[in-house]
Amino acid sequence: MSLQPAQSDSQPDSTDAGSNGSSQARAIAHKRERYSSALGQLLPIGCILNTPEQLKPYESDGLTVFKKSPLLVVLPETIEQIQAVIKWASSEMVPVVARGAGTGLSGGALPHEDGILLGLAKFNQILELNVEKGFARVQPGVRNLAISDAARSHGLYYAPDPSSQIACTIGGNVAENSGGVHCLKYGLTVHNVLAVTVVTIDGELLQIGSNALDSAGYDLLALLNGSEGMLAVVVEVIVKLLPTPPCAKLVMAAFNSVEDAGNAVGQVIAAGIIPAGLELMDKPAMQAAEAFAQCGYPVDSAALLLCELDGLEEEVSAQIDGVTTVFKSCNVSELRVAESEEERLLLWKGRKSAFPAVGRLAPDYYCIDGTIPRGQLPYVLRRMEQLSAEYQLPIANVFHAGDGNLHPLILFDANVPGETQRTEELGSRILLLCVEVGGTVTGEHGVGVEKINEMCVQFDEASLQQFHAIKVAFDPDSLLNPGKAVPTLQRCAEFGAMHVHRGELPFPELERF
Amino acid sequence: MQNQDQTDELVAQVNQAIETKTAINITGGGSKAFLGRSQDAQVLNTSAHVGVVNYEPTELVVTVRTGTPMGELNELLRQNGQALPFEPPVLETGTIGGVLACGLSGPARPFAGSARDYVLGMRVINGQGQALRFGGEVMKNVAGYDAARLHVGAFGSLGVLLETSMKVLPLPEAQVTLKHELSKPNDNTALVKMMRQPLPLSAAAIINRSQYIRLSGSDSAVRAAAKTCGGEVVPEGEAFWQSIREINHSFFNDNRPLWRLSVPEFCPAISIDGSTESDWLLDWAGAQRFLKTDADAASIYAAAASVAGHATCYSANRVAGNASLFQPLEGAMMSLQARLRDSFDAHRLFNPGRFHPELDNN
Ligand SMILES: Cc1cc2nc3c(=O)[nH]c(=O)nc-3n(C[C@H](O)[C@H](O)[C@H](O)COP(=O)(O)OP(=O)(O)OC[C@H]3O[C@@H](n4cnc5c(N)ncnc54)[C@H](O)[C@@H]3O)c2cc1C
Repeated sequence: MSLQPAQSDSQPDSTDAGSNGSSQARAIAHKRERYSSALGQLLPIGCILNTPEQLKPYESDGLTVFKKSPLLVVLPETIEQIQAVIKWASSEMVPVVARGAGTGLSGGALPHEDGILLGLAKFNQILELNVEKGFARVQPGVRNLAISDAARSHGLYYAPDPSSQIACTIGGNVAENSGGVHCLKYGLTVHNVLAVTVVTIDGELLQIGSNALDSAGYDLLALLNGSEGMLAVVVEVIVKLLPTPPCAKLVMAAFNSVEDAGNAVGQVIAAGIIPAGLELMDKPAMQAAEAFAQCGYPVDSAALLLCELDGLEEEVSAQIDGVTTVFKSCNVSELRVAESEEERLLLWKGRKSAFPAVGRLAPDYYCIDGTIPRGQLPYVLRRMEQLSAEYQLPIANVFHAGDGNLHPLILFDANVPGETQRTEELGSRILLLCVEVGGTVTGEHGVGVEKINEMCVQFDEASLQQFHAIKVAFDPDSLLNPGKAVPTLQRCAEFGAMHVHRGELPFPELERF
Repeated sequence: MQNQDQTDELVAQVNQAIETKTAINITGGGSKAFLGRSQDAQVLNTSAHVGVVNYEPTELVVTVRTGTPMGELNELLRQNGQALPFEPPVLETGTIGGVLACGLSGPARPFAGSARDYVLGMRVINGQGQALRFGGEVMKNVAGYDAARLHVGAFGSLGVLLETSMKVLPLPEAQVTLKHELSKPNDNTALVKMMRQPLPLSAAAIINRSQYIRLSGSDSAVRAAAKTCGGEVVPEGEAFWQSIREINHSFFNDNRPLWRLSVPEFCPAISIDGSTESDWLLDWAGAQRFLKTDADAASIYAAAASVAGHATCYSANRVAGNASLFQPLEGAMMSLQARLRDSFDAHRLFNPGRFHPELDNN
């Protein structure tokens, strides 16, 4: 990963062409003008942003260390306008980067300096909420939580619940195949989307999937989920709505060591129980969350598990008996079942605000997103502790423990010379550690620009080439979000050489599955 | 269970086919010849490529070679109190590779998810003879395009499946099957309503005037839900669901070709020339409908398309001529899928004509 923009990534003068006399700046200004006037023919007034002040908010997504200015931002209002814009981009060979809410954490929506940013914020309508048939048909800019909010009074909800759900959009969720705290039981975005309508790079409108449970031909729906805006632009989504479980209970269990907590997670599963959510926080994360949300966490313990059980009342009480028995046999130091709905929500609030809470501990924090086989948790935690000491950077850990998805948060101060670079290296070491134990460099945040180097370690050349071939089948000129998610082989060669040179890649040819 | 890695042999066989420019028919247990037309081609058999590569029950993941017999895999998981929740059919000699290549899921599918939903990783040989790995053994993984799930239901036309990692889940503590008599044949309105209720449903089917549902979960929850739902307890409930999964319920005993229509569960009765109520079996609460009919393929495809669904012929050997056995793809969708096929298998080596022939002829 590289938190430090490469030379070509920063364009200090690109939005400031008027005051700068360089020929490059003039060329950019000229292009911007030309594109603005061409797109002005296709879009209503006010749908094109091209002044430095207007472009500023779009320079980065949630991973703010990467910043680039697009040539311009377009905010179309109809699907026909999106088609027209893409047809134009395709004929002019202009890169197009789609953007939802910009909460992505891997630089997926980072603009292309020679391209346009396609903002989908205006597509924020729920087109159909079908209670009898159990689905919602929504525009891509609809916020994740807005769907469940609209369905709630009908006893239904949309299951995937990323912590960013108040802000992130369903289009972004599809592009990243986002998960949430309940995905152990209810699955990821790919398991809860019935159909998407997309605009291809030719400007064609295609519906992929339907209200039937499968489609003729290849499962393009599976392929579209998690494709990071590189195969097509999602312009409509049909999501499955599930009946709200009549009962949800939260068990909080504290432990004197993270190993004990990790072991308890495995034992719950071994007992045949699949909790709706199973989250782990280590001491620094728990203390930060407590200071932020005052939710009553036992801050003196080493690790905290939040275990949610939902379903029919009878099912839930049987499972509560089951998990409390398990926890008691795993050296639990404090055990509490939330008595009321308020208490349950308060205990969750701490977890759901863990990122911003940890963010208050240091001027900057950097969120890592690897997944490991659960059994490797103790080993990975020990190694991370060593790495943290080696790099002299504190790490706070929050995990989707049930499915082995780690979010180590590295605390640093970008104003201290060298710290950003150390953070970057530490993050990369953690990701490679995940690969080493049979895991992956990204569980839910996507590769984007951030983890592109680590992809070279997780995949061999032939598999990467196959990814490029898939991209070509959809987008032969590589105009949709070019350069993201899948590294070129040349980049991998450079990355390999660099790391071998520094002697930091101890397992370049490791079998990885 | 046997344990034998034939990756090298299978790769060599593909490479030889590339050299000699001969097409390959991929087979496992040979149990699914009723799906898709098989062409004259050299056979590549995966049935010696067997065994569990990794199974750690508390990780909820099993990694197996694709030639592993489905029955043996089910038995191994059962011994550990677990199962593949999508209820893959065994079809006597079927392999896990065949189940995934054909994308088959049993009665639990609308409630538990499909075959592709449980796939976490896949090793495949592509049309260049390269053994590739996609996905992995962990629950959440968004590194690279999801080419692992893409192979599910591709009928081998994107490559030879070598190895798969799948999510497994604990078996439910209790199950009960309940039967209701319907006043109108094939009327699934009650099922559609039930789908919107927080009930521990795990299967729902209708044969004529009999509606069957299955409830699964903790003992107490299943008892409570059974009370809410009412109906008559079916003593041999599991055998009934198995007979639908294995396509050997007495309904399927018929000389006419069998078709599967995959449609929105809530769509009303579909009318196809000459078909009567007793020619239909509704599974998946109505989202999967089996039809015994002599009607011509084109009219079945038209009927399925008119309700936003698609149809597949389940009696490849009984439909004469060269009508496609899968809902034909058209226009931009067809071209895109053909390009995707070519991205994996540019020489169109694998199973030519077996799946959508229009992908091979364009
Ligand atoms: C505090 C915080 C907590 C988070 N918690 C979680 C979590 O629990 N789980 C999780 O999975 N993620 C989480 N995220 C990450 C992020 O919210 C998700 O990745 C989310 O899905 C991004 O949605 P977005 O609308 O903001 O997309 P953006 O950031 O705007 O875009 C993300 C990617 O999607 C593409 N894209 C967007 N819209 C479309 C479209 N219509 N068609 C095609 N491509 C499109 C973009 O090009 C880009 O590649 C968190 C982020 C933050 C800041």
